[in-house]
Amino acid sequence: MNMNRRRWLIHLVLRALAHRKGRTLLLLAVLAMASSLATALGIVSSSMEKRVAEEVRKYGANLIVIPESARLDIGSGGLNFGVVSEPAYLQQRPVEEALAKSGLKAEVSFHLRGALHMKDADIMVEGVNFSDIRRLFPWWQLKGNWPAAGETVVGNDLASRMKLKAGDVVELVGINSKILLRISGIVSSGGEEDDLLFMALPELQQALGLGGRLTLVRLMVTAGGSSLKTCASSLQMLMPTAKVSEVRQTARTSEGLLAKVKLLMLMVTAVVLVSAGSSVAGTMSTTVLERGKEIGLMKAMGGTRREVILIFCGEAVMLGVLGGVAGYLFGSVIAQFITKTVFASSAEFIPWIAVISMGVSLFLALLGSIGPMISVFKLDPVRSLRGE
Amino acid sequence: MVESIIETNGLTRSYGDICALKPLDLQVPEGEWLSVMGHSGSGKSTLMNLVGGLDRPTAGSLRVGGEDLLALSEDGLARFRREFVGIIFQQHHMVPYLTAVENVMLAQYFHSVPDEAEARSALERVGLGHRLKNRPGELSGGEQQRVCIARAIINSPKLLLGDEPTGNLDHKSTVMVMELLKELRAEERFTVIMVTHNQDVAAWGDRTIYLDDGVLVREERMKS
Amino acid sequence: MVAVKLIPHILSWAGIVLVLLRGFPGRRSVVTLTSISGFVIGVVGTFTLFRSFPGTVVFGIVTSALGVVFLLIWGISVASIYRSTGRGVTFLWVERLVNTSLCAGMVAAIAGVVAGAVGICRLPVTDKTVLGLSLLVPASGAVAYAVAYATLAIEKRLPKSFAVSPYGMPTAVAALLLFSSSSILRLDLFSPLSMKVMKFAHDFVHQFMESMLIPDHVFIQSYLWRYIGLLFGKEIGFWGGLFIWFTPALLVLLAGQFERLPPVAHIRQGAQRRKILAAAIRERRFRLVIPLISLLFFVAAAYQSRFPSVEYWDPKPIVVTATSSGEIIIPKKGEVDLEDGKLHKFLFNRGGKDARFFVLMGPAGQLTVDLDACAICKPDGYGQADGTVICYYCKTLIPLETVGKPGGCNPVPITFAEKDDGVHIDALTLINEWGNTVQSTSKIKEGGK
Repeated sequence: MNMNRRRWLIHLVLRALAHRKGRTLLLLAVLAMASSLATALGIVSSSMEKRVAEEVRKYGANLIVIPESARLDIGSGGLNFGVVSEPAYLQQRPVEEALAKSGLKAEVSFHLRGALHMKDADIMVEGVNFSDIRRLFPWWQLKGNWPAAGETVVGNDLASRMKLKAGDVVELVGINSKILLRISGIVSSGGEEDDLLFMALPELQQALGLGGRLTLVRLMVTAGGSSLKTCASSLQMLMPTAKVSEVRQTARTSEGLLAKVKLLMLMVTAVVLVSAGSSVAGTMSTTVLERGKEIGLMKAMGGTRREVILIFCGEAVMLGVLGGVAGYLFGSVIAQFITKTVFASSAEFIPWIAVISMGVSLFLALLGSIGPMISVFKLDPVRSLRGE
Repeated sequence: MVESIIETNGLTRSYGDICALKPLDLQVPEGEWLSVMGHSGSGKSTLMNLVGGLDRPTAGSLRVGGEDLLALSEDGLARFRREFVGIIFQQHHMVPYLTAVENVMLAQYFHSVPDEAEARSALERVGLGHRLKNRPGELSGGEQQRVCIARAIINSPKLLLGDEPTGNLDHKSTVMVMELLKELRAEERFTVIMVTHNQDVAAWGDRTIYLDDGVLVREERMKS
Repeated sequence: MVAVKLIPHILSWAGIVLVLLRGFPGRRSVVTLTSISGFVIGVVGTFTLFRSFPGTVVFGIVTSALGVVFLLIWGISVASIYRSTGRGVTFLWVERLVNTSLCAGMVAAIAGVVAGAVGICRLPVTDKTVLGLSLLVPASGAVAYAVAYATLAIEKRLPKSFAVSPYGMPTAVAALLLFSSSSILRLDLFSPLSMKVMKFAHDFVHQFMESMLIPDHVFIQSYLWRYIGLLFGKEIGFWGGLFIWFTPALLVLLAGQFERLPPVAHIRQGAQRRKILAAAIRERRFRLVIPLISLLFFVAAAYQSRFPSVEYWDPKPIVVTATSSGEIIIPKKGEVDLEDGKLHKFLFNRGGKDARFFVLMGPAGQLTVDLDACAICKPDGYGQADGTVICYYCKTLIPLETVGKPGGCNPVPITFAEKDDGVHIDALTLINEWGNTVQSTSKIKEGGK
């Protein structure tokens, strides 16, 4: 005994769709394509927005303080090897005082960069406080351990150039003294850090004879309310001998690229949606025209107009749901492809986007069926059965 | 005295200027087998559509089974059709993507709820127990027509309408179908109205009326 | 203005009458009469209570009545699901009782009394004189009469298929009552319910988990705390509350879905059999309408309770400092009037630590100083409305009368001295008390250490 009307309706719809395999596949493809583009758009924009925000946070040492006279290369800051003739330095103490006075909520990291002798070569050494580094640059990848006292970490490129590995002991020669440091780890950041040797700030200051001097201060200001610009200018007021500037270049580029990609995808999606909608409408009305006799028969058997329309709506909904599922899967692949090729990173898995793709697909399927449904409603059983 | 299941009074149907059915008075007593004969275009199909609730008359009154068909709404007519009438067509009209048993279940679905077991036994009753799962394309004309008969009577209609049901069948199948109908009528006691232009088929009925150009020209009672 | 406020309550009552009329078919007059008189009794009785008892007591009584109604539909829903699963238990006497006019009258009267009581709680009861009472009787009577007869007229026009099952009826009545009461802050049931659930989870974890089950081990703690922390958030209260809140209506719905179809095997003709089945299925579906609507009303009630449309009095904290002797002195009639019966918030800072507290004059004319935080919730603070303060975190209402007493979600009281020049509070005590309270409440909520 099979007495469930709903189950029967689904069965009927599936039978009808299976009967016209070619057309069903075509409709499914169209719907899946439209919804997959919408899905891809959603995934790319939402996951890349997050990524860009993260990037802002990353480079988000978002303010840097450098000595007035030094030439600035954004993101690198500091001395070029060979131009050390008249190096300029920041005084650590006034900077700390200025920061305290400004009342900014910021993560701070002090940097001093200089050259030390090692095995008859000069190498760039950066003095930092490792605890600050770990907070401000969480993306640094470290093979080995963070250094304890008397230890150091070496940038990836430098390490391979000088054939250094963790556990080695290096001898560095400064102005006043020799320092022996054990390498505790190799660091790679994908940036200029890969070419540097890092050691504790006070040790470097002593080695270079530059007690209390800095070449660069990186700040990560959590700009609540007030903009970064106002933070920068207020800090500038307190430090007349230094130069405070924003670091946003990298993030801006990504934002711009994201905006362009989004616009492109939006346009493509719009075009696809319109053409998909019209092709769904076209296919659906042909189907209904061809099935005139069937509709007439259903009406002659005693189906009310509502019941007959329900069957055809069921087909549209079924197509919409299947198209939505396929679109979501396919769209995720597209999104992955786009983020891989354009942004060189992978897209996230975002489940709620499935709602969007389902919605787009269902909307198209039902919108395309409105016209055909009206003709189903109006169809006269007598004439259609006679074959007119 | 047997009550009339169909009563028409001045029943008229015209399409624009063309009058397909001139005012017609007709009484069909319950349980009768009425054959309607005439050339094509004589108005016999129009009469059948009107009586079956598929079409509305332009004038006159029409009562079928005590129900005034003119007073019924579109949905009311649909309800009338599913509960009161079974129709068999010349071209069978089966849903091509459904199997024989599913075609019968479709009628059940529109009537109330589908019931596969009952649909099966209905097909067994018309001698198609071995072809339950076949699609219309895999059935012969006679077999298709028998499926249609099973479908037409599945909801126990009071009135069975046949629109040249044997028009597309060879002689052997025709006899088979007519015998089946006769048998079923004996069990279910429905009224039959059968449109045909085949004298032999008409002879299966109790009474034959002849239509010409929308006018009832002659009436003939069979002796059995 | 008052009349506008009453509209949702009157509409809810009309809904109740409608459901009762359909639920007890053929007992129109009994239902109409008893529900009208019940309504008037509820209004007048509650009004009289307000005259002779403090507000807390009356609100307590009405809230308990609502709680009992809620418990009743819990029982009824469980019975409905039990019956629908086809157990052979039929309490004949119960069924016979349900079909009597006595039962109809009782149900209508109870519903009327509670609806009337809830409605009168909406009005600001200022005029407690006998004159007010003598006006109230005819007024409420007229309203009840008009509404009941309007509903009766509507009911007669409704289609026959709109049937109310014996289980759907009480569910709908309870849903409407709770919907009606949820807009009155002090009668609200959902928030206290979720608060109770939260507290239960709290106590449970404290009693068992913390002391016995969780070994004090570094590895286990860090990730286990994350899950245990879930048990401490307000989410557990909210979701647990929702579960308890919606279950009765859902059970009744489910019972409707499980309901057996009539036996048809004896009918020989297939078409006839199928027609009866289809009609039964259709009817069964129609019977789901009322529980579904009730469910919607439960949702609306929970929503109203979650996001009450009440404006809270919540002043910005005034920054205060301590004198050299380590005392905070707040003059009674200084910047603010401490004795105006309103909540006054202050902020004290020492050594980078903030402590929020408030001073409030209770209805008994007693000043009290409390932290703007309680011992169990995150320190989201309190707002004042309608004879109560509300904890923003768990949405619990604390009657003004009990502010200053410790325990539960009450604000943590601070010892102070009331002198001529104002209120004296020891700064160190304040800071320490705040530190202890906030530390213990936010430790777990942030998901561990």
